[in-house]
Amino acid sequence: MASAQITDNPLLFAERPEWQDVVPLEQYEGVRPLAPIFYTPEYKDATDYFRGIVKSGEKSPRVLDLTENIIRQNPAHYSAWQYRYKTLMALNAPLDEELRLMDELAVKYLKTYQVWHHRRLLVQQTCKPAPELEFIASCLQVDAKNYHTWSYRQWLLAHFNDAALWANELEFVDRMLDADVRNNSAWHHRFFVVFQSGVRQGEEDRNDVVRRELTYVKVKISFAPNNASAWNYLRGVLDISKTPYSAFTSFVTPYCEAEPPQLDDTSTDIMDLDDPLPSQDAQLPCTAAIEFMADIHERLGGDSLRVAIDHWSSLANTHDTSRKKYWEYRIREALSNVH
Amino acid sequence: MYQPRRSPDDNYVTETSEVQSETELILQKHIPADPEAPVTLQKNQHLQFLARNLVQGFPSRYISQDASQPWLMYWILQSFSVLGVALDPGNKQKAIDTILAWQHPDGGFGGGPGQHPHLLPTYAAVCALAIVGRPGPGGGWDQIDREKMYKFFMSLKQRDGSFLVSHDAEVDVRGIYCLLVVAHLLDLLTPELLEGTPAFIASCQTYEGGFSSASQPYFSAEADGSTVLLDSIRPPLGEAHGGYTFCALATWIMLQPYLKLQEPAVNPPTVDYQRLMRWLVQLQGSDVELGGFRGRTNKLVDGCYSWWVGGCFALLASLGVGGGYGRDAGPGTESQDDGEWDDIDESVWNKLGLQGYILCAAQHPAGGLRDKPPKPADAYHTLYCLVGLSAAQHNVYPSPARSAKVAREWRSLPDYPNETLRKTSFLEALSWSEEEGGSHVLGGTANRVNATHPVFALTMTHTEGIMSHFYKQAIPRRK
Repeated sequence: MASAQITDNPLLFAERPEWQDVVPLEQYEGVRPLAPIFYTPEYKDATDYFRGIVKSGEKSPRVLDLTENIIRQNPAHYSAWQYRYKTLMALNAPLDEELRLMDELAVKYLKTYQVWHHRRLLVQQTCKPAPELEFIASCLQVDAKNYHTWSYRQWLLAHFNDAALWANELEFVDRMLDADVRNNSAWHHRFFVVFQSGVRQGEEDRNDVVRRELTYVKVKISFAPNNASAWNYLRGVLDISKTPYSAFTSFVTPYCEAEPPQLDDTSTDIMDLDDPLPSQDAQLPCTAAIEFMADIHERLGGDSLRVAIDHWSSLANTHDTSRKKYWEYRIREALSNVH
Repeated sequence: MYQPRRSPDDNYVTETSEVQSETELILQKHIPADPEAPVTLQKNQHLQFLARNLVQGFPSRYISQDASQPWLMYWILQSFSVLGVALDPGNKQKAIDTILAWQHPDGGFGGGPGQHPHLLPTYAAVCALAIVGRPGPGGGWDQIDREKMYKFFMSLKQRDGSFLVSHDAEVDVRGIYCLLVVAHLLDLLTPELLEGTPAFIASCQTYEGGFSSASQPYFSAEADGSTVLLDSIRPPLGEAHGGYTFCALATWIMLQPYLKLQEPAVNPPTVDYQRLMRWLVQLQGSDVELGGFRGRTNKLVDGCYSWWVGGCFALLASLGVGGGYGRDAGPGTESQDDGEWDDIDESVWNKLGLQGYILCAAQHPAGGLRDKPPKPADAYHTLYCLVGLSAAQHNVYPSPARSAKVAREWRSLPDYPNETLRKTSFLEALSWSEEEGGSHVLGGTANRVNATHPVFALTMTHTEGIMSHFYKQAIPRRK
């Protein structure tokens, strides 16, 4: 069996005849530690033997058993992970098998750094990144915002920088955002794929790419306007493309109203992609839209500053009172810049 | 009873809005029924929680922290310090002896005896020693092998200015923060240590304004076979996150003396402070979330971000961003009693709101503090809620008067390379002061906790003690 549960062999290492030659070492010698942890017998046993192995520098197959035993009990034991990696390298062990073991462990221990970093080390050796995309996608089904999972995906794509790897990435992000338009990790990934990974074949017309992204985010905003991730993405795209915020005045205006616009009988189901309207169920006005409108006017300067200040005041006093101090700061800064 | 507005979901439910809604249902039960009734920081209960962990030890589920023993020690010791309590001499010595057992023969500290050296436990161990240690035999400070520590640091340095946290381990900004704090406390700063690091930090800022865990370097192949780090493409790995942001921003502050020494560069690395501030402000929860902080856009509030995010505002203010700047007391300035409102509190964030979250939602009824109800308390959340409370109560700022006072005592030592860098770093680290009259304690003076050094997350007193020793400089008493 590729994976050994610690219950597969219930004997402590101290009880196993094939480990008799190793001298287990106590953790603390001559020191009664403050704030001790109350280890289980299994954990104390395994780590006492690990200390023994580290001292002798042994790098053998049984060390793989021992380190696997430890990381199942404590997946954050980074020294066991490091030593395991060094042992795999010394033994020239089959890394595909190791990856299959890691597939199993990742399910249980998604949130530890070491599970993901070990994978990174292995894939750097195997140079077979493609199956990782499928694996990462399956992990994200369980935990859609796992930080290590997403940053591992970004590392994989950037490090190998292979056109075949990138090919379906936008589609992947689309699926994640269809599943949850408020998944900020997915929005960040989108920005990474579109704007922070060089220019790939077919994407050379950057104006076209920007237009596509702006349309995309406007449509997403229209479904659920009170979504900070989408508004942050919008700002990010405008900033990186140096598009003036004022180009968005007509889009943002309906989101600053108290109600979604009433559709009359002649309205059709066709959405205006230039200025998609807030859905009929939207809860308005949308705070992020008012802030955006304030920023449009601040950047126009001159008399428009008055309008910006009115918007910030409405945020401070009515729509976003918990951030009152920030909106008052924006007002003060705008006034002091006038002089 | 006051029922604040729930977060709008536009009648368009997703996993995010569902989880948010469930959380708000629980949180709003913790809004005090009577807004006038005093809320109390249960100091004794928290001290007992901490003391139990320190003396009796941790239950077996803490096996998951076996590679973080220095953290457990630091979280407990620093929590005691925030609450104004010191260990008795016997336990102090036991702490010192325990910490020294984690030092690795090759330099640096590991997560436990015999564990590989690692930047994060190194920070925790050295900070724990700042709290309990002293000069001389058995005191801990002089048993730190500084030369090996420096070699350990340089062995982790990468071409893009980043550092691995340990051999064959990951790069991330937490490690860089930990390294820089230790280098400050132990007088290990050199230009070669810091080269390229500012550019790496700057590259971790995302379009949202906060910072990611790391960035990816790209190299171009040159004609002579060498490779060159590309400036133009250094994408951040992972979204803007409160924990990484604190580490990146504090690191950026610590790099200022080094940056000032550089020749003016064509394209110096820069951080977009306005974008950062906007993101930080947006992370504070609404009234129904009791003003706690979340760590990422569209995720849930959590008590530990009280420090990671709440603590960023003092750092930004020290760079001249965001208002609420502390001022040295001039003649005629009266210091105010805690609890009196100073109408001129111009900080950009809702400090009282955060105090409300910590006191009403984060305190566990049985002692200790937590992420959010109904989670149990743990040592990590206890510390970061307490130092977060400290950041929300006080206005700690870099005081020109204090810096000048410390500078007057500075004595140049013979054979002192890199003096400008080290002296400037020393003065900046020690200039942080609690603004007189700048404290506002929700619930009255009994809830007051000690002020915290905004960069190192130690008390100013412990910072002075250890730095005075390692830099071999006298430090004048504060008033």
